[in-house]
Order: sequence, then structure tokens, then C-alpha cells
Amino acid sequence: MTFVKRYLIPRLIQYFLVIWLGITVVFLIPRLTPSDPVMKMVDQMRARGSTLEPGAMDDIIEDLTQMYGLEGSWLEQYGDFWARLVQGDFGVSFFQFPARVNDLIAVALPWTLGLLLMSTAISWTVGNIVGGLAGYYTRRRWSRVLDSVAMVVRPLPYYVFAFILLLLFAYVVRWFPITGGASLGAIPTFTWDYIKDVLWHSALPALSLVILGGAINFQVMKLLVQNVNAESYVQYAKLGGVTENRIVGKYIIRNAMLPQITGLALSFGQIFSGAIITEIVFGYPGLGMLLFRAITNGDYNLIMGITILSIIGITTAILILDLTYPLFDPRVRYT
Amino acid sequence: MAHEISRRDLMKLLAAGASGFALGPVTFLSGNSVEAQDAALPGTFPREQTLIARILTGRVGTPDNFNEWVGWKNRDRGMQNLANEPLWSVDFATGEIVNGLASGDPTYSEDFMTVTIPLREGVAWSDGEPFTAADVVYTIETLIAFDGLNGHEFLLENVESATAVDDYTVEVQLKVANSRFHTTFLDRWGCTWIMPKHIFEQQEDPVLFTHNPFVGCGPYKLHSFDPQGAWTAWEKREDWDKSPTGILYGEPQPQFIIYQYFADEGSQILAQLTHQLDVAELSANGLTALLAQSQSSRAYQPTFPFVVNNDPAITGICFNTARAPFDNVDVRWALTLAIDIVEYTSIAVDSSGTLSPVHIPHLGPYPDLYIGPMQDWLKEFTIDVGDGETFAPYDPEAPRRVADLARSRGYVFPEDDEFLAKTFGLGWYKFAPEIAEKLLVKNGFSRDDNGMWLMPDGSPWKIEFNSGTVLANHDARNAAAAVQQWKKFGIDATHFLTESDADLVAVGDFDVSGDWPGWEPWGAGPDLYRTLNQWNTAYVRPIGERNQGHQSRWTSPEMDDIIERLRETDPFDTEAVVAIGIEGLKEAVKNMPGIPTYGYVGFVGWDETYWTNWPGSENAYTQPYTHWPNFKYATPFLQPTGGA
Repeated sequence: MTFVKRYLIPRLIQYFLVIWLGITVVFLIPRLTPSDPVMKMVDQMRARGSTLEPGAMDDIIEDLTQMYGLEGSWLEQYGDFWARLVQGDFGVSFFQFPARVNDLIAVALPWTLGLLLMSTAISWTVGNIVGGLAGYYTRRRWSRVLDSVAMVVRPLPYYVFAFILLLLFAYVVRWFPITGGASLGAIPTFTWDYIKDVLWHSALPALSLVILGGAINFQVMKLLVQNVNAESYVQYAKLGGVTENRIVGKYIIRNAMLPQITGLALSFGQIFSGAIITEIVFGYPGLGMLLFRAITNGDYNLIMGITILSIIGITTAILILDLTYPLFDPRVRYT
Repeated sequence: MAHEISRRDLMKLLAAGASGFALGPVTFLSGNSVEAQDAALPGTFPREQTLIARILTGRVGTPDNFNEWVGWKNRDRGMQNLANEPLWSVDFATGEIVNGLASGDPTYSEDFMTVTIPLREGVAWSDGEPFTAADVVYTIETLIAFDGLNGHEFLLENVESATAVDDYTVEVQLKVANSRFHTTFLDRWGCTWIMPKHIFEQQEDPVLFTHNPFVGCGPYKLHSFDPQGAWTAWEKREDWDKSPTGILYGEPQPQFIIYQYFADEGSQILAQLTHQLDVAELSANGLTALLAQSQSSRAYQPTFPFVVNNDPAITGICFNTARAPFDNVDVRWALTLAIDIVEYTSIAVDSSGTLSPVHIPHLGPYPDLYIGPMQDWLKEFTIDVGDGETFAPYDPEAPRRVADLARSRGYVFPEDDEFLAKTFGLGWYKFAPEIAEKLLVKNGFSRDDNGMWLMPDGSPWKIEFNSGTVLANHDARNAAAAVQQWKKFGIDATHFLTESDADLVAVGDFDVSGDWPGWEPWGAGPDLYRTLNQWNTAYVRPIGERNQGHQSRWTSPEMDDIIERLRETDPFDTEAVVAIGIEGLKEAVKNMPGIPTYGYVGFVGWDETYWTNWPGSENAYTQPYTHWPNFKYATPFLQPTGGA
């Protein structure tokens, strides 16, 4: 009960407070920008060729304001917004009216989750294991080679690196497709052919994220391990005749991993924002471009829908990490 | 209680959770089946029978919704350009208005209160139902009845009633006289399209109806689409001869046409180099890179300047005439004469733009009807420099000087007058900084010790030139060139790139912008009402409010009078329309609310591996863009190669 009263309840209150505050800021920010979704649509109608008399334009503005639910004061809109939100309804997209925001996110989210969960998990796991070993066996030739590779790869701008991969593997050797999440004509079905096709299209975007993410994890973990390796308890274990495997696995890497676990939780939380540059370079479907277009078109509801998911994702990841941290670090106790 | 879970257990739980997350999307996709799609796998489309083009407006957000009468539905993914047919459409390459579902021009009553529309016989919707006047009447009545449908307000305000006189004639009674009412049905990358009555009348709410599969009168029908919006595939109708395209031009050649999303230029280039994209739309550098690498790609023009230079828009500089000192015509002319157009176009478009001295582009019918006949007036036109001195600013030699610079830089192109006029235009304005100086001094401007211009109140003259953030777009290209020219002239000019450009310009919060100096004309036919009407006083709003007319907020009683007379003129009376249109252009030149520079330049790369006979400059049988509505009219002319 002490844990519940002294830690869990205050932590949960903080959790919900952060979400409320984040969502409120997300509600306000689009309304403070000069981008007006109603006028965006009117401008587009004019640009498309509609010749509108002033009276007709005023009527259109009134109709669109009503359809988009932008009537009334911000306070009234804020009330309506929460009334919808507690029912899990983000409302309609302004730019892609009358499509519902929930539906637009539902189409894009699986692709983002599929790509980013896998690439984050792989780059974290491989980067930390290899980085940990390289940090311990720091004088070995393979360790120095990997370190040099990571030093070259890591500073590369992601866009450039991704395009180099695209050029090499999609154009020069043509092992992978140039663009898209699946082939032209491929219809989503739960068949091995379709899954293979999706995996084939995901390979390059995933590879770009894994290599760059892995290089970062490699370098950080290598440094952490080098620091832990210099700790007196590790030296004592070596002098005490503890086997090398045990020292590396139990004494060094496990201790060095703690900050990396925090980083992993934050990375998983950020997945809901999408990976916009990956989506642009590889033409991969996902939340990133959806969010970008929502921002440029002043599509308040869609911006709020995606950002709220991201806020909830990050705060929940941190909450889970906080609550489970004693399992990773025995020194931490909520008693 | 936490210590009851071991770390090993936790790791197992995490592994299970991660697997679940990873498999989740695939499971979700498996349940995301799509209506109206045949079982299709990669390779369904035989490449030699398939044409692949790019969706200009990006990934489709609502791929299963084809109701183009509601909001925005990425209609350039094949709806407007293959499967739909308007009453009329604009072809800016030929300068003609194409009769689609209409069989000819509309006729107006003398008081412009009634318009009669003749319809084409023998047309059928893609599901086989015949197209008749009932469809047109139903469309007008439905759009009036539902305020969620595009075009609702215009038709509600204008239409008293619509009647089918017979199966192929519609008569529309108007509430107010409107000599341009029919242009709401004239497709220029958008218009009021005709609904299939037999489909829509079965729907309770046409606003929420998804119109899937799409039913239209174009020569193609929906084949399949990507639920993520990356591509839409269309198939030639078996009864293509019942579409206006088939009736007018014959059988479309590609069996399938796919519009595909490409997020960036790099992937477009790679796709065309590997023959996976027949039509690429690129930047100047992108086109250069493509032509350098590809043996099978061609540009719109076979020689320099390679670009598409007949897009119906005139680019340039737009002044905010509601803000000092741009409310002063002398200042606007001074800034015009401070520009060396040869250097300017070299910076902006590598000398590839076609100059126009008036506020319409040099293309289609405009050189013959307007720009050519205005040459004498332009040569005689003078501006008052002060102290009784006048200056004739027009320079018919400017295009030749642009051509000379291009040639001196190694570009090779024909030297005949016809090519030079078509490519570089008929004239522009002199580079006369000394006259610009006089105009400014006349209005109280002065220079400081460093030669920089000061405002009449003695403060430094700063000009902020707004544009969007995409440097390849023509607003930014004009901004870069103008800022360089004005800096050389001694003005502290800066280029302000912002995502909010359109919003700032709309409320008048800008000095100068890269918005078109004149509203885009139709691009076909003689009528300039679309351009001139934007300078109507009725549309001008105070700074801070959204303007409803041209972004410059410029207007004049003389222009209002010209617009009024144009409204009272039959749009099909070419002689009368042109006479008034020329008056309108002269009024704009005298006041120079924006500086017209060069016509919009586009960069198209066509791969000739699978398809040839593209509508290039040497054979411009129709407009060249696959995203334009009348791309369907090009499909009968394309020739398959078999991929050899």
C-alpha cells in the first residue's frame, strides 16, 4: 500500500496531468498559427478555377466553418473537442473532408508501427550487443574497424545516407524496389505473397534506420562499457578469477544497459510521430507525411489526432519504464 | 510485489509484446480488404500495355473515396484526367476549348438571364447508362440542395431553375445576369462536373457517398487502387467509343494507366531510368540529370530550352498596393525599370522562360489576339518621369538579348524568328536604372552616402519579398532574381521564405510577393474576364482581412468600367471581347500592380521505351501534362512500342 499511496497514485496523477497539458497545447498551437483551414480550402477552390463572387465566398466560408466545427469561441471548441476525445473520436479531417481522422490514422499507423518497431528493436539490440562487446574488447581489430565504420556512418545526414542506399540497392544492383510500401497492383491480403512483398519493400527503409540507429547505439554502448570496465568492482572480479563471459554478461553489459533502456522506451514512444524523411525518400506510407500535410494544410483535427497519439505514446512509455525500472536495476525500490 | 517478477520473465514478456506489435500491422492489413478490387498481385499489369504517371498532388488521403463533388479528393489520380468528362475543357496548347459532354458553345439570351447548353449524343457512362440532359439538371439541382457539395454556393446564388428541354438540351434560368455562367462547367484543372444521376439519386446523402467505383463518361474506368493511396489503376473501357474522347479522337492506346505517388524527385528519376515511370515531373536540375543519364527519355522541347513553356500562367512580382510605397505607381515602375530582364531570367530559369510584357502569358491564342496587336501601343506607351520628361519603357529587343545570352552560354537552338518569338516572347521592358532613379527622386526618395535608397521620410528603404519555401517554385525563383536586381540598384531587399506565405499575402501582411502578377487566364479562347475580374473593386478588402480579389489589392475605376463592359459582352463575340480585353491589359500595364516577367515553366521527362508520340513542342496536339483534365485526349495519339 505504501507503494500505491506514495508512488503509484502521484505518478498516475502526474501522467494524466502531462497528457492533459500536452493535449491542451496541441489544441491551441494550430489556432495560434496564421494557417486557417477554412481559407486554405477557399484558396484552393479559387486556385482550381472557381470564380467566386464576394457573396458566394462569404457563404462558403460560413458553410465550411460550420462543417469543420470551428464555430464559437475557442473555449466552446475546446469543450466540444474534449467531448469527442473522451469517446475516442478525433473528428473529421478538414483537408480530406469528410474522412474521419481516426480512419486516416488507422490506415497509416500499421505501416509506421511495422517499420519503426522492428527497426528500433533491431538497431537497439544489435547496436548494444556489438557495442558492448566492442567496448570490452576495445583493442581487438574488429572492434577498431567497427568503430571506424560507426564514426563514418553516424555523422552522415540521414537523407543523404538513405538516398545512397536507394541508389545502390534499388538502382545499381536493383535488389529492392525504388518506392512504395508494396508493389503496383498488390492488394492487401493475409497471404505469404503479400507479406513477402511488404517485407521486400520495407527492407531498404528498415536497413537505413537500423544502420544509422545501430551506429548510434553502438557508439554509446561502447563508451558506457568502457567506463564500467574501469570500475573497481570489475577489476576486483577479474582479480578474483571470475570467468570473462560472466564479467562481460553479468557485471558490465547489464550495468551499462540501464541508460540504454531509458533511451529505448523514449524511442518507442516517439514512434507515433512517424519517420517523415524515411517516408519521403522511400515513398513509404506512414504517419510522418500525414502529419506534415496536416500541418501545411492547417488540418487542426488531423494534427491533434496524430500528436495526441504521440503524447500518449511517450508519456505511457516513460510511465511503464518508471514502474518497471526496479526489474532492471535492483538498486531501485518503491518502498 | 514487483520483485515477484524475475528479470528473465520480464524479458520474455517484452519479447512477446514486441512480436505482437510487429505482427499487428500485418494482421491489420489482412482485415483491410477493399471494395471493388479484383484479386491482384504484382505483375498484373502488362508493362507494354500500361502507362505509368505520377500523382501530382501527393499520396491520396482517402483512397476509397471518389466523390469529387465533396472537398478535395486528389482528382488528378485519374478521376479528372481519365475517367471524367466535363461539358467543356481548356486546351492551352492549341488555344481551343474542347467540347466534351457539350456538343458546342452555350448560347445566352440577350439579357444574360438564360443560357442554353447543347449536349453530345451517343455518350454513355462507364456502367453503360446513357448520358442525357437529365444528368445535367440533376447535378445542378443536387448541388443547390446540399451545402456540403462543391459549387453549392455559386449555383445557389446564380441559378433560378434548370430544365431539360429535350434529352440533349438544357436550359438554365439565372437569378442574376451572368454572361460567364457557363465557365463553372469549363474544366481548367477543375470545374463543376456532371454527376451520374442514376448513381447519386440512390444515395440518401450525396455528401457522405464515396462513389466507389467511380462512374464517369471518360474513356477509362476504375481498375483498382492502393488502400494506402500510393497508386490508382484505370483500365480502358470496352465501350470507349461511347466516351467523348473516343468519339472525338478514336481509341485510347494504353490498356491500363496507373497514377503513382512519388514522394520526391530522386525516386522519380530512378524510376524513369529503370523504365518504371513513363512521365516524370521534375525541377530544372532534375530534368537535366534525367536527360544526362537516360538514353530513352525526352523533354517537352527537343532543343534548348527543353521546358514546357506553354502553361497558362504568367509568373512575376506582385506588389501590395495597399501598403506604401507600393501604392505609388511611380515606385512600381521604378522597380520595373531597375530590372535587367536578361540577367533576371538567367538567374530565375536559366534563360528558359518566355517573356510577356502584359499580365497574361505568351501562349495559345494570346500572342495573336493580344500581345502581337498591342505591340504598337506598347512601343508608343510612355511614363511621366517628371519635369516634363517622358520615357518609353518598352523594349521589343529584350527577347533577342535573352536568346543571345543563352547562346553565348553554349545552348544550341534554332535561330528563326518564329522559334525565337515562341520561345523568348515578343518584348519586355528596358533596363533603365537612370529613369528608375528619376521616378524615385520625383517622389521624394533619396540615396544615402553608401548609395542605398532612403524613403521620403529619410528611413532606409527595405523591401521584403515573400515566397513559399520550395526554391524550385516560380515564386521563389522570381524572388531570388528580383532581390538580386534591386540590391544592385541600391535597395535593401531581402527574400523572406515562409510556409505561411499564402496566409500572409491573403491578409495583406507583405511588401512584395511571388504571386502571379495577373490572375491566370483560361489559357484558351479569347476571353480575359477570368484575369481582369480579379481587379474588381468589389473584391478588395481592407488590410488585415482576407482579400477576395487579386493579391495586389489594386483596382481602379477605369478597370471596374472595363470589367463591367466585359460582363455585358457575349463571351463568344471574339472581336468585342478582344477589344475590351486589350483595354484591360493596357490599364494594367499603365498601373503595373505587379510585374509580369516570364510564363510558367514546367519540366517534364517522357520515357519513350514503352510509349511514343508524346505531345511535345514539335507536335503539340494537346497539352503535355498527365495531371491536366484533358490528358485523356492524348491517349488515342500515344503509340505503343511494345517495349522494344
